[in-house]
Amino acid sequence: MAVAKDVMSSKFKTLSPDIPISEAVRMFKKASEEGRQNVFGMMVTDRDERLIGMLSMYDILLFMRPKHIHIWGMMDDIELAELTDNACNRAKSIRVGDIMTTDVITVAPDTHLMVILDIMIKKHIRRIPVIENEKAIGIVYISNFFYHLLDRLTA
Amino acid sequence: MTILEERKTLSGLTVGNAMRRQVVYLPQHTSIDKGINALIKYKVNALLTTNADGGPAGVVSKTDIMGAYYAGLLLETPLQNIMSSPPLFCRPDDSLESALEKMRSKGIYRLYVLGEGAGDVVGALAYPDIVGMLYRYCHECKYSHRKHKPKNPADAAVRRFKVKEVMTASVKACLKNDSLMHIMEELSKYRFGAVLITEKNGTPCGVVSKTDLTLSYKHGIDALLHAQTIMSSPVRSCEENGFLEDAIKKMILTDVHRLFVHRSATQNIVGVLSLTDAARLRSGSCHACVSSRIKIDHHQ
Repeated sequence: MAVAKDVMSSKFKTLSPDIPISEAVRMFKKASEEGRQNVFGMMVTDRDERLIGMLSMYDILLFMRPKHIHIWGMMDDIELAELTDNACNRAKSIRVGDIMTTDVITVAPDTHLMVILDIMIKKHIRRIPVIENEKAIGIVYISNFFYHLLDRLTA
Repeated sequence: MTILEERKTLSGLTVGNAMRRQVVYLPQHTSIDKGINALIKYKVNALLTTNADGGPAGVVSKTDIMGAYYAGLLLETPLQNIMSSPPLFCRPDDSLESALEKMRSKGIYRLYVLGEGAGDVVGALAYPDIVGMLYRYCHECKYSHRKHKPKNPADAAVRRFKVKEVMTASVKACLKNDSLMHIMEELSKYRFGAVLITEKNGTPCGVVSKTDLTLSYKHGIDALLHAQTIMSSPVRSCEENGFLEDAIKKMILTDVHRLFVHRSATQNIVGVLSLTDAARLRSGSCHACVSSRIKIDHHQ
C-alpha cells in the first residue's frame, strides 16, 4: 500500500513566522535552486518545529496585488515601475506570519495516497505537510505524487 | 411653488452597483492573531464574524484591534470578545444615498449586504468602494481631466473640485517620541484613522495608521515604545489646490486611504483628505454631474 511517507520529500526548508517577506522570497529562490525544482510554497514552523502555517507564492502575490485593481483596467496612464516599487516598499514591514495561511490541511505518514489525491483535488491544493508527533517530517508535492503514479502506470 | 431638488451623482444608483463581493469572514471563536492575519492578507479594514450556524454575528475592525492592543489583550483572545454586534446591513437594491445616510447616522464605516436569505451575506459596502465606483464614472466622463484639451470650451465651463474643498481641515499631530499608547489614545479620542508624526519643531516626518498599530500588536511590539519605531515615512501628501480627481487617483493607485494636504511647501500640512471624505461628497470630481442633474422634480 502506497502511503504518504513513500512519496513525501523529507528534505525541506521551513520558514520562521518572524522573518520579513523579502527574506522568504530569497529562501524560495534558494530552495528552488538547491532542490532543482520550483518551490511554490513552504511550511512555517515555530521554535519547536511545530507546523503553524504555510506560505505560498500565491499568498505573497495576493498581498502585492493592489486593492483597487478592478479600476486599473480602464487606465492607460499608469506608471507601473513606480507602483511596483511602492508595493515592494509596503511589503517591507510585513512578516511571514502576517500573511501565511494558518488553516493548513495535513496528513499522517501512513495516510493512503488515494486519500491524499482526494484532498488535493477537492481542496485545490498542491502540497500537503506530513505530520508526526506534532512535527513536520515531510511534504507531499503534487508532482511527486504524479510521477510516482506515472511510474506505476507506465511500468 | 417649484421645488428644485439637487440630484447628485449617486442619485439612482444602488448598493449593488458599488458593493464589494468578496467578504472576509471568520468564526467568532477565532483568535485575534488569526483575525489580524486575514485583515492584512486581504487588505480590508474589517471582517465579519460568524456564529456556530455560520450566520453573521459581528464585525471586527482595525479600531477594535487597536482597542485590544491598548487594553493589552492576549493575541489568543477570541474575536467575539472584541467584536461589535450585531453587524448592520443593507440590501443590494437599496439606494446608495440611503446606505450612505445609514453609515453617517450610525457613525460606521461599512455595511454588509444581505441577499435573499436571512443570514446570506453577498457583499460589503465601504467608503472606498463608493469612491472607486465614482472614479470609474469620472474617468470615462467627457469632462474628465484626463481628456482635458485647452481649447475645449466645455472644459473651461466646468469647475473641478479641488482638494481643499473636500479635505478635513484639522490635522492631529503627535511627536515622534510619543508612545504608541498615546497615539492610540489620540486616534480614539478624535476618531481618526491615522495621525501625523512630527519632529519637536513641527516638521512632519511620518504617519502612524491603525494598520501600523495592528501590525505592531501582532509583532509583539511594546505599546510604550515611541511612534518613530513603527511610523511609515515619508508622509504622502498632495497640494491643497490640486484636483480632487488626481488625489483620488493617487490614493487608489498607491493603496492608501488618505493623503495629507500641504500648502506650498510639503512641510506645511494644512489638512487631510481621505477616501471617506471623497465618498461623503456624494459626487464625482467636478461640478458637471452636480449641475447637469439639477432637476425640477415636482410642483406644490
